[in-house]
Amino acid sequence: MPSEFEQQTWVVVPALNEREVIGPCVAELRAVFPNVVVVDDGSRDATGDEALASGAVVVRHPLNLGQGAAIQTGIQFALSRAAGYVATFDADGQHRVEDLKRMLDILVREQLDIVLGSRFLGHAEGMTLGRSTLLRAGVQFTNLTTGVKLTDAHNGLRIMTASAAGRIRIVQDGMAHASEFIAEIGRLGLSVREAPVTIRYSAYSLAKGQKMSNSFRILADLFVGWLLR
Amino acid sequence: MTIQLVLSVMLVGVAVLIALQRTTARLLRLGVLAVIALGGFFVWVPEATNRVAETFGVGRGADLILYVWVVITLALIVILFLKVAQLSRKLTHLARAIALGNPKLPAHHGRERDGGIR
Repeated sequence: MPSEFEQQTWVVVPALNEREVIGPCVAELRAVFPNVVVVDDGSRDATGDEALASGAVVVRHPLNLGQGAAIQTGIQFALSRAAGYVATFDADGQHRVEDLKRMLDILVREQLDIVLGSRFLGHAEGMTLGRSTLLRAGVQFTNLTTGVKLTDAHNGLRIMTASAAGRIRIVQDGMAHASEFIAEIGRLGLSVREAPVTIRYSAYSLAKGQKMSNSFRILADLFVGWLLR
Repeated sequence: MTIQLVLSVMLVGVAVLIALQRTTARLLRLGVLAVIALGGFFVWVPEATNRVAETFGVGRGADLILYVWVVITLALIVILFLKVAQLSRKLTHLARAIALGNPKLPAHHGRERDGGIR
């Protein structure tokens, strides 16, 4: 039986063309967290149907907007269902449900606003040296620009209280939302802790995941977002 | 002579298009028409640009027109860029509203059509 806190949690899973993996991902999550919302970001495959069949609620963007937009949509859905806690979890199988379970425990026990997963406190299976170097450079950049000191700024595994989720505003529709999350934590002065997590890089997640060259796009997005603030 | 005729016809064409833009603010339309009229004047009296250039400390009228053109183009790019960013934010809000307005609930929640799923 899920604990009282697990039942109050809504897990947001942004997904784009994840038909092959979304079913098992939702099933694994629902073994612990009964409330899962998959935000289908305009997939051209049966991602939404698979997620629904596995017991998730599905909200679907009529067109592809980006992962940041999907997460913000999921958060708003969770809040509309009177969630007590809101988590974000990647669809591609790189996150582990037991890590999220542990993060929820930390969040509740230490009465924090938000707990972030860190692969550098924990470990990352199958991470290349190039990816590790780039991610660490990204962490330095985010620490410098947001004033929040973290070890891993771009981890999609997070859990926060409903009140924190309601105050954080993600307007970066694309991949720059990860940095924006940290910036929002800094701006709102939220209490944050990182928890070690294990990231499982698979051939699937690496093929689907971010190409390293995308970091320039993210920097450009952040600059534009800063201009428009 | 030929180029002056070609340019004049194009300017008149643009002027007509602008004049017909009922949705644009009248003041803005008048401003653009004034700029077009000035352009028409310079097309037929190109020496005039040299005198204007001199007062701004620019050697030739043609150079002054190039500089002004560059500034106007950059300004237009920035304005269009901001418009696109604004539009994409509106699009996001619209798509989000559509998504949130039509949640699909899994079979075992079917009986609770609206309201809490828990």
